[in-house]
Amino acid sequence: MTQTPIFRAQSIEKAFPGVLALKGVDISLHPGSIHALLGENGAGKSTLIKVITGVHQPTAGTMYLDGAETRFTSPRDAIAKGIGVVHQERNLFPRFSVAENIFLEQLATSYLKPVNYAQLNRDARPWLDALELDIDPATPVSELSVARMQLVEIAKALSLKSRVLLLDEPTASLTSSETDRLFTILRRLRDDGTSLVFVSHKLEEVQEICDRVTVLRDGANACDSRSMDGVDRDQLVQMMIGRSEGAAAWRHRDTASHPEVLGLTGVSTVLGHRDITLSVRKGEIVGLYGLIGVGRTELAKSIMGQFAVTGGEVRVNGTAVQIGSVAEAIHRHGLGYISEDRKGEGLILQHSVLANAGVPIWRKLAGALGSLSDGRVQQVVTPFLNKLEVKTPSLAQTVGNLSGGNQQKISVAKWLAAGVSFLIVDEPSVGIDIKTKAYLHELLRELADNGTAILLISSDMPEMIALADRIAVMDDYRIRGEVPNTGVYDDISRKIMNHIHGSEVDRTEFAEASNP
Amino acid sequence: MLQISRLSRADWFGPLLATIIAIVLIQSFSATFLSAYNIEILLLAIAVNALVAYAQMIIIAIGQMNLSVGAIGGLAAISFAGAMEVWGLPAPLALVFALFIGVLAGMVNGILIRITGISAFVITLATLSIYKGINLGITEAQPFYGIPESVKSFGSAILVGPIPLLVAPTIVVTLLLWFMLRRLPIGRFILAVGSNDHAAALSGISVSKTVIAAHAISGLLAAIAGVLVVARLQIGQPSIGDDWLILSFAAPVIGGAILAGGHVSTMATMLGVVIVAIITQALVLFSIDPFLVQVVLGAMILAAVGLNRLRARQPLKGSM
Repeated sequence: MTQTPIFRAQSIEKAFPGVLALKGVDISLHPGSIHALLGENGAGKSTLIKVITGVHQPTAGTMYLDGAETRFTSPRDAIAKGIGVVHQERNLFPRFSVAENIFLEQLATSYLKPVNYAQLNRDARPWLDALELDIDPATPVSELSVARMQLVEIAKALSLKSRVLLLDEPTASLTSSETDRLFTILRRLRDDGTSLVFVSHKLEEVQEICDRVTVLRDGANACDSRSMDGVDRDQLVQMMIGRSEGAAAWRHRDTASHPEVLGLTGVSTVLGHRDITLSVRKGEIVGLYGLIGVGRTELAKSIMGQFAVTGGEVRVNGTAVQIGSVAEAIHRHGLGYISEDRKGEGLILQHSVLANAGVPIWRKLAGALGSLSDGRVQQVVTPFLNKLEVKTPSLAQTVGNLSGGNQQKISVAKWLAAGVSFLIVDEPSVGIDIKTKAYLHELLRELADNGTAILLISSDMPEMIALADRIAVMDDYRIRGEVPNTGVYDDISRKIMNHIHGSEVDRTEFAEASNP
Repeated sequence: MLQISRLSRADWFGPLLATIIAIVLIQSFSATFLSAYNIEILLLAIAVNALVAYAQMIIIAIGQMNLSVGAIGGLAAISFAGAMEVWGLPAPLALVFALFIGVLAGMVNGILIRITGISAFVITLATLSIYKGINLGITEAQPFYGIPESVKSFGSAILVGPIPLLVAPTIVVTLLLWFMLRRLPIGRFILAVGSNDHAAALSGISVSKTVIAAHAISGLLAAIAGVLVVARLQIGQPSIGDDWLILSFAAPVIGGAILAGGHVSTMATMLGVVIVAIITQALVLFSIDPFLVQVVLGAMILAAVGLNRLRARQPLKGSM
């Protein structure tokens, strides 16, 4: 690899008021390469991406494009010079057609020239074909799956003649088969000479697809654009966190003799679940694995009483119960739910740490006339916050100002304080970095060891295998089977896939038959 | 089957159904409902109210609200009448002046919102008071009576049968707006900004220019409505626009507009205006207390928002 890089950044510094986010970072991007950009949350990845894509101007340092010095005055400027980016959050307009989403950029040059949709649809075709996307360009984006939306964004970036394409956590919301398809496409783009930058927290994926790597730590290079040859997972982790991972590996725990805390037999719900049978014992972690949209979160919410159970039996501690509301689930039955949507459902971002951690116990602590004193709430909550090492300047700090990891800890702490005996944890490590993730895993294990029954919902297979005692596989609102965890990755992932595959085969055939 | 379900999902389908049912029901109770005279009254109301609704709709499209629609309409109306009476301007020049005032007032809204970053609700609440204050300062709450004959005859002219000439400008505006929101980049940008302004900016759309343009269009539409009212009333009444606020929200919402932005429909908003006009008229025909009209209007907004939410929820399940 002696060819000149398409893009090179040298000694990039970026200062924000009070913080030096980048302290002289180097990176060089070569054509026909997939370059991993790694680092923990707060290491400066996002800032570097924003500098490269023209959102931020560097405070110091130089950037070179094809060997010549360059600067990007705006995102549009960077795009015009061939730097494309697919952001982590979707930037599409759901009600606009696929073609219009792809070409909105080009329309932005004029305000009053009528849009020729027929032409737009024709122009979109080649870009969709290049990504093997078999969709009508006139389809509204809202009718596509998340994976396809992502591909539309990539098509959009490619249509702008991007020679450098940055992908920020492109697999965060993809299932494993969708990820495989995306990788096939990325490899082809690479072979066609595009320079790709791949940002991900999932090191398995990085090792699978990337040929070069830049690691950032505390705003500086832990390594600069080195080859991935001979770099193993431990080395990557070591560069990212400055020490080795140190997370306790999966170990066999025997809970067979423990009493059942939550049991479902033949349960169906208004949301369309049928014949769900599941049992979680005291101190046990049961995984609920499945792809996105197969009804896992919906099952959790039905257990919590948010949606009605229409058939079958729900048992809490061996007694059949009818849970009519979330309040009942928490206060009478001791069930807790940590939402996958921390910001939307789990926490009240504008409120203080104390207020957030105390919500579930307000009722229990309320004194005469239902009055609450901060002091009493603080007394109950503080030990749990300390135990989880929540880093906050004070209990009065607004939760929105804390890091993702700390926010996650607070959502755990609030249920611990409420003293629940059964906890549903929904996608706990989405969007948090490796260090916090390892810590969170230890925490969940410790909770289970102390007797809490945990139902873990995750589509992160390594996470499942690191934590769960048994793994129930869900597809299409049904439980397809159960796999005991042996800690052997390949074995378990094959068994899980077999369970899902059994139902997926018919579906693909159906899709092909109806879509000739 | 597929055809019907697709039709039923179109924004104008529900309001159209409601319109037809309302007309049939009311006609069956009161034979005079579809008389020529009544139709003319209905069309006069619709001509003005549609413009008022559009002025709000375009701001709903960018995910904001404009409380000053009525104040801008009123200011444009007295500018129009005042320019003719006090300055003796010919009607076409006075018209241009009034529309310019409307565009200017709208742009001021948009610019203030973009510069200060304060919500449109607060900014337009403030400018509502300012524009109304300027209006009352100029007129001292007295109407301008010196409206030329040409304007008066335009306001009372008949196009054909029971159809007044006053509907002509509204029809033209409706078609232009429809074309703009469907086909012109500026219309698409307005919807894009309303849907997700962050994503719009990343797609190279100038959010500021788009927001200011939307407010300018809103001001222009309110001004046209104000001028039409002057032609119809034949005086430059300072109180023009005072009662536009609730109506301006009711029609777009009945037409399926999403208040969070990014989705409005010109045709469905027009049907919303028609429904409101028909029901208001029916209450008059059945000699029900006119104050009840406000109650009914409010109930209709609630019902429409509720229906929109139900409708928004349904396709979600199918796509899972």
